[in-house]
Amino acid sequence: MLRFLIRRLSSAFVILILISAFTFLIFFAAPRDPAVLACGKNCTEAAKDIIRDNLGLNDPIAQQYWEFMRGIVMGRDFSVGHCDAPCLGVSFNTDLMVWDTIVDRLPLTLSLSLGGLVIFLTLGLGAGLIAAAKKGTVTDKTLSSMSLVFSSMQIYFLGPIVLGALVFSTGIMESPRYVPLTEDPLGWFTGLLIPWFVMALIFTAQYTRMSRSSMIEQLQEEHVRTARAKGMSRPYVFFRYAWRGSLIPIVTILGMDLGALLGGAIVTEMTFSLAGIGRLAVDAVTNIDLPLTMGVMLVGATFILLCNVVVDAAYAYIDPRVRLG
Amino acid sequence: MRLLSTRRARTAVVAIAVGSLALTACGGGDSDSQTKDDSKTQDDAKEQSEAVAYGDAEASKGPAAPVEGSREGGTIRVYQQTDFSHLDPGQIYVSDAGLLSVLIHRGLTTFVEDDEGGLTVVGDIATDSGTPSEGGKVWTFTLKDGIKDEDGDPIDSGDVRHTVERLYSKHITDGPTYLQQWLSGDGTKYREALPEGPYNGDSLPDDVLETPDDKTVVFKFDTPRPDLPQALAMAGYSIVPEEKDTKEKYDQKPTALGPYKIEEINAGKNMKLVRNEEWSAETDPKRHAFVDGWDITFNHDRVDQSKRLAADRGDAKNGIQFSGAVDTSQIKSIVSDEETNARTIKGYAPYVWQLNMNMDRIKDKKIRDAITYALPNGNILRPDGGSYGGEVAGGLLAPTVPGYEKGYDPYGKIENPQGDIEKAKELLKEAGAEGQSLVYGYANVPHRQEQAIIIEEALEKAGFEVEKKEIDQATYYERVGKVDNGLDIYMTGWGQDWPSISTVIPPLYDGDQLADGSAVYSHINDDKVNSEIDRILEITDPEEATTEWQKLHRHIVEEINPAAPLYFTKQLQIHGSNVGGARYSSEKSYIDVSRLFLKS
Repeated sequence: MLRFLIRRLSSAFVILILISAFTFLIFFAAPRDPAVLACGKNCTEAAKDIIRDNLGLNDPIAQQYWEFMRGIVMGRDFSVGHCDAPCLGVSFNTDLMVWDTIVDRLPLTLSLSLGGLVIFLTLGLGAGLIAAAKKGTVTDKTLSSMSLVFSSMQIYFLGPIVLGALVFSTGIMESPRYVPLTEDPLGWFTGLLIPWFVMALIFTAQYTRMSRSSMIEQLQEEHVRTARAKGMSRPYVFFRYAWRGSLIPIVTILGMDLGALLGGAIVTEMTFSLAGIGRLAVDAVTNIDLPLTMGVMLVGATFILLCNVVVDAAYAYIDPRVRLG
Repeated sequence: MRLLSTRRARTAVVAIAVGSLALTACGGGDSDSQTKDDSKTQDDAKEQSEAVAYGDAEASKGPAAPVEGSREGGTIRVYQQTDFSHLDPGQIYVSDAGLLSVLIHRGLTTFVEDDEGGLTVVGDIATDSGTPSEGGKVWTFTLKDGIKDEDGDPIDSGDVRHTVERLYSKHITDGPTYLQQWLSGDGTKYREALPEGPYNGDSLPDDVLETPDDKTVVFKFDTPRPDLPQALAMAGYSIVPEEKDTKEKYDQKPTALGPYKIEEINAGKNMKLVRNEEWSAETDPKRHAFVDGWDITFNHDRVDQSKRLAADRGDAKNGIQFSGAVDTSQIKSIVSDEETNARTIKGYAPYVWQLNMNMDRIKDKKIRDAITYALPNGNILRPDGGSYGGEVAGGLLAPTVPGYEKGYDPYGKIENPQGDIEKAKELLKEAGAEGQSLVYGYANVPHRQEQAIIIEEALEKAGFEVEKKEIDQATYYERVGKVDNGLDIYMTGWGQDWPSISTVIPPLYDGDQLADGSAVYSHINDDKVNSEIDRILEITDPEEATTEWQKLHRHIVEEINPAAPLYFTKQLQIHGSNVGGARYSSEKSYIDVSRLFLKS
């Protein structure tokens, strides 16, 4: 297991390096000049050249990339001060340390992702198991139909509808906002309730359908039928033998979803006017902000790769038939 | 306020200025609207040539004019789309930070506004709007007593000198450059006068900037600079106390001289302002500080801002938009409801949208005229908000600029907002250019894409062949600002930096400035226009200068026609029901943040 983890983490590291180099090259390949955004009316070439010089963009691309990567390990000095390792540079747009900015935004994204995950995983798995257990009944058909409807929806469509109904029209709930959990647990909970609710509606549907079909498949496995033939109770067989096996496809999509959510739930954050990693990613691209783009990209990629490693490791735990190596 | 009651008696120098945008309703419905249209029209602007005083010492005294019904206390909520581009005054050029600067910064001069929207330039930390001598080549300012920064340290002429000199240093790149160029040379040449700014102990010589004592500042120019008091009122020339200047870091935490100071900043998330106890209302002719603080949160797009404020629930009752506007998708529902409409702020913004016709590629004026006649300005305006978003333009000057001539319409755009296809066809035939191909560049954002379809259709009806080219919005102005941009026609918008045509015609139509990155988007390079610009810029009498600018404007539009006028923009904002003192600011083109209070 340890060798497996080391091997997977090593390959993840190599992928991160490749992603960083690719992102860097893509940034410079794009026909967009960051100096233009930081240049007032009547922006002359001379004025832009001064800005490029300030941003360090007049150095060769390879040198810029090397400085950036070296900064992650050793830290760097900028005109606004020293940037401790892991230094992801200084934002072109705000002159703030990128690492500090990301760390500042992370709690919201973590709260949004993990809170949403707890809700949609609980509801999704529960509904899926009930649908599988009641296969063919009205309950099954109702749950399956509902999941089909909601999985077809998007946050940018459902979000404004829920906001309109619960906030703007009726005032039943407050507009979504983020309050740190440590400051005000109740405010944290109520502030994120609407985004969680909307995320749950959409994601729950996906997990309901997945867990239902996976469970039905497992219930038809020979070892499950054998267990039932031996006289074990239905609930016991259901949870002891079938459920564990049905989790493998769930863990796979969960790993991908969680990685993507932690990397920045862009649409969710934009829909609910929340400032997390997703919003930061949009700002970085919009403002042609190379250090911030690199930072957000690397953090997002790290989450996704780590989640993939965890998923692979989880397979072995869930299903001993899976061989690592 | 004394300023207003005795204004006429205190006029030192007169400039023709923006007219009022009095909040009276009037007719003129949008063709697609079933509701009464009470958007601003030029009738609301009363006198577009209303005189604006350069206020004297009396006009420059505080406190600001009283606001009816005002009370103290509470916190105003601000919903803003993006974080402020800059906090360092030297870097502030755009409207969002410019609005914030009213609350936290102060300059040598500022604009005060009467109830009809008339503007007066007065001394802010200076005792008056400045004393010209040597025919306007020299301007002297004396500082008021009792001006302190947020730490209680007094502001003296050394701080003013430092404020000016730091603008020469390499890290200041985004703010206005008028003053630096007037003092030390055009383009970026001025930087050579003080390459490191004041940070290595260097200074501008006394024959450029003189501070003979702690209270006196003297600017010395090669040519008359009658607009100096207005230029100095820009947010970009607000004071940075020498001892508090942290160079690049100042952009993250500036020192306040205004009625509020920054208590908390979370970049990209929120900002909190609290009272600056060192600010004295007695020294300030412009600003009030009715509320205890301002709670500004970012990441609210226009739709979110509009919905929250229209719903008027919870915090939103105390809420305003800063530099945001009512989203075009919600204009109709907001203005058609009596209650929400009563909470809107309406007025002209300073921008004129025009369709530039690249004169390097479209050399025949008849073809340019054909394009101009063909355009259905009324339809082109619709995707940008209809009658609440703007108004069809007949010329290239906005109603907010001194010297704007109401009804000026040489191409019949106002009279016939659907365009004149037959006239366009006729002109195209005369030019022998039927079937002429036009490469049309436009930004890849929804309303520009909609406009592109409308423009393409009209031009093709007139006999042109249009090849559309989408351009990334983020780099749009960079692309169209290149001399060799490969485009025939493209839209641009421009607004004055202060109420003077000198901030509109020279940057847009002076061929001597034509270069990559300049704003001479049409590539006009006409000897008569260039020499007239040089001549008029030296006229020290504002009224005479305005008359000459008007003549030149007519010459550009009628004899050259480098850009087809499309529409003037209007501002429509909404605020919460508990916000009092709300009015449109002619100076800022947004809600006037200097006088807001909470009703309860």
